[in-house]
Amino acid sequence: MTENNFSLKKIEISVSEAEKRTGRNAMNMQETYTAYLIETRSVEHNDGQSVLTDSLWRRYSEFELLRNYLLVYYPHIVVPPLPEKRAEFVWHKLSADNMDPDFVERRRIGLENFLLRVASHPMLCRDKIFYLFLTQEGNWKETVNETGFQLKADSRLKALNATFRVKNPDKRFIELKHYSDELQSVISHLLRVRARVADRLYGVYKVHGNYGRVFSEWSAIEKEMGDGLQSAGHHMDVYASSIDDILEDEEHYADQLKEYLFYAEALRAVCRKHELMQYDLEMAAQDLASKKQQCEELATGTVRTFSLKGMTTKLFGQETPEQREARIKMLEEQIKEGEQQLKSKNLEGREFVRNAWADIERFKEQKNHDLKEALISYAVMQISMCKKGIQVWTNAKECFSKM
Amino acid sequence: MSGGPPKALPSTGPQSLRDMPHPLAGSSSEEAVGGDSTPSPDLLTARSFGDKDLILPNGGTPAGTASPASSSSLLNRLQLDDDMDGETRDLFVTVDDPKKHVCTMETYITYRITTKSTRVEFDLPEYSVRRRYQDFDWLRNKLEESQPTHLIPPLPEKFVVKGVVDRFSEEFVETRRKALDKFLKRITDHPVLSFNEHFNVFLTAKDLNAHKKQGMALLTRVGESVKHVAGGYKLRNRPLEFAAIGEYLDTFALKLGTIDRIAQRIIKEEIEYLVELREYGPVYSTWSALEGELAEPLEGVSACIGNCSTALEELTDDMTEDFLPVLREYILYSDSMKSVLKKRDQVQAEYETKLEAVALKKEERPKVPADVEKCQDRMECFNADLKADMERWQNNKRQDFRQLLMGMADKNIQYYEKCLMAWESIIPLLQEKQEAKDDSVEKKGRNAKNSEHTVLTHRISSFVTELSLLIKASDWVPHVHLSRQRSPRQVILGSLEAGVSRQTLPTRLCGRLAHSLRPSLQSRMLLEGGKGDAFSPVGTTPG
Repeated sequence: MTENNFSLKKIEISVSEAEKRTGRNAMNMQETYTAYLIETRSVEHNDGQSVLTDSLWRRYSEFELLRNYLLVYYPHIVVPPLPEKRAEFVWHKLSADNMDPDFVERRRIGLENFLLRVASHPMLCRDKIFYLFLTQEGNWKETVNETGFQLKADSRLKALNATFRVKNPDKRFIELKHYSDELQSVISHLLRVRARVADRLYGVYKVHGNYGRVFSEWSAIEKEMGDGLQSAGHHMDVYASSIDDILEDEEHYADQLKEYLFYAEALRAVCRKHELMQYDLEMAAQDLASKKQQCEELATGTVRTFSLKGMTTKLFGQETPEQREARIKMLEEQIKEGEQQLKSKNLEGREFVRNAWADIERFKEQKNHDLKEALISYAVMQISMCKKGIQVWTNAKECFSKM
Repeated sequence: MSGGPPKALPSTGPQSLRDMPHPLAGSSSEEAVGGDSTPSPDLLTARSFGDKDLILPNGGTPAGTASPASSSSLLNRLQLDDDMDGETRDLFVTVDDPKKHVCTMETYITYRITTKSTRVEFDLPEYSVRRRYQDFDWLRNKLEESQPTHLIPPLPEKFVVKGVVDRFSEEFVETRRKALDKFLKRITDHPVLSFNEHFNVFLTAKDLNAHKKQGMALLTRVGESVKHVAGGYKLRNRPLEFAAIGEYLDTFALKLGTIDRIAQRIIKEEIEYLVELREYGPVYSTWSALEGELAEPLEGVSACIGNCSTALEELTDDMTEDFLPVLREYILYSDSMKSVLKKRDQVQAEYETKLEAVALKKEERPKVPADVEKCQDRMECFNADLKADMERWQNNKRQDFRQLLMGMADKNIQYYEKCLMAWESIIPLLQEKQEAKDDSVEKKGRNAKNSEHTVLTHRISSFVTELSLLIKASDWVPHVHLSRQRSPRQVILGSLEAGVSRQTLPTRLCGRLAHSLRPSLQSRMLLEGGKGDAFSPVGTTPG
């Protein structure tokens, strides 16, 4: 791990709390928002004790600002995504309200995850703005804006539907873009259906609670059967209430999937950046080629292609040799400049492809690893649910046997 | 075996009846007293239970000879039978082998009825006949007619809404067969009903229709007398026990109705859940097609969900076929029982009215007129029969529901066991690949830092998995309230550093653990330059 000035050597980051705040927004109107406490601890080598070094409060919009900054300054990196802005893929019991405590709690975890991902990225963790985000409460926003990243941002990237007719794109990026589109689509579908599944499962469990009540009422008129029925009814109540915890755990799985849903977007962003660079490169090359041709024509006096100059020359007479010389000279300069630019653009492009691809490989491994983990934990959750179910019904069966 | 002295006659039990003088009290009839007097010893030794000698070859209770209490004493002594195992039974009836018959006029199903018996009433030891639902219906009506003082078991519902239920489907026919089998078995087990001649004919006759046309005229004395009871008498004093039975049946039927609705609702919700699952599973397959390394795990999950869906379908089918019909049967049972109770009320009412009329006549006759005596006879017989039947009904009901509810629990257990098996079987599939992959990564000889990182990450992640598994599998009761000062993640990290045993970690934190611990540990490992010793996961075998 490379040394850096910012002593990120041994730090532990956590988003430990969330708090409702009221304040005035840019338009001087009262608003309610949630602030999150970010705590940074440095861990001493020897005894493993952690010392709190920084703690400050940030709101979601500041996280967004940080991420937008990272997107601009590290276009070749698959930048970790933020947790969703608004609750989506909810099933009926979950609230879609941003102020809902469960949503806030899951968002807290998501924000912590985001910071940890940035901190564990070999390049992003060295970024000064990121460091300041963790350490400098006041003035941070101004500092970010001073970098002028918004100006650097290419507005063309924002236009999602804009297609750049690129003649020679890197095939790998085309495939990757296609993959990220498909991934987005399939994970969205998965999350939607999962939410419906959760809904239905909730219904099944809760209806069993009615057995509890009716068994209790029935046991009142029975002699020998009474006790067995009554205690079985209790188990039905336990069964019905067990679904709440089960589904809450499943939400964590959904959150893990959501992270990769949003990662797909980040992946696509890198592809589009490549497209854009390639487009610029091809445009520059085209421009250079046409200038060269112009120059050649002027020098040899032949007009091979239609040009406005050619037309006006024909119509208004030829220009003077001095004028022509001047123009040739200008063009030659432009060509020289253009060649330089093209060379650097080419270099830039190749560098971009190389760096991006390295990060993409890193990302792929991370993705495979994380998603496998997610699937394992999902299977574990299902196993736990099955075991609980077996236990409850076995208990109920025992009660019935005593009837 | 022939047990101790038989219980006291049911007819002498209820206090309310004691107020009325039994016309035949103190008669020499052996049945009126406790078990000393029994029929001729030689007949006794021929069989384990002497009571059966009371039965005449033409089946049913003796007509006109024994006292009106005879059927109850029969019940009385035969009640000992209930506790015996099947070996001492002498009548076995089974319903099976449904077959479809297509005729010009109609299509219908017949069932094979197999009877095995050593009873004298049966000419042959074994019979096999074919009957259709109509025939069962006929039998039930005949039983109700001829044994009005007894509780006749219910038949499965006669009418089926055409178009909604396919009455020739395998499931429907099987459900019906089971119910018909239950019906005949209940009659078989009944000490009085099983000797009914109509029952005998039903089991044995080659051509039942011929018998139906003949219209068997033999009715029991009680049966006949009860049949002609006029209605319209007002009941003064319903005996407590019958009032209690009536109330019980009302509440019972109500509760069963509620349970029926709940069960139906559950099945409906389960089916809707199933529909969603059937869409859910395949999405993982679609995803699998996009991936490389993840393809197998995702496909595995898809298959797993498919297996769970199948298990769920089996559960809902079972509940629909086995649970609901039995529930409905009992509701029908209690309905028919209530009408028997009403008839009993009428018999008592008639008696009371007539008795009153006599009292008012102010005649000095010491003896009560014959027809009033007959009324009293009827009433007391009825009460005795009904009481005995109620007791046996309560007993059977308890066993039936015990079996039914245990069955329901069993089906649910089986469903969860199938799902458990499916999910447990893919865990090794998911984990195996990971280890294999990491091994290959090490073999590729990437720079030392990376591979070290990967190994550490792997160790951490498998530790986390193991931990999650253990926590989930344990019976840990959730909910540990954490102080506001430290987040769950910090608590866990703290406990891990302290080397706390896995099993003391709360379940609730597990989700968060799995979710948030990994990246943090990873980052820590990275940032610490791979010096993993400051933090060693409990229990994992060191590198």
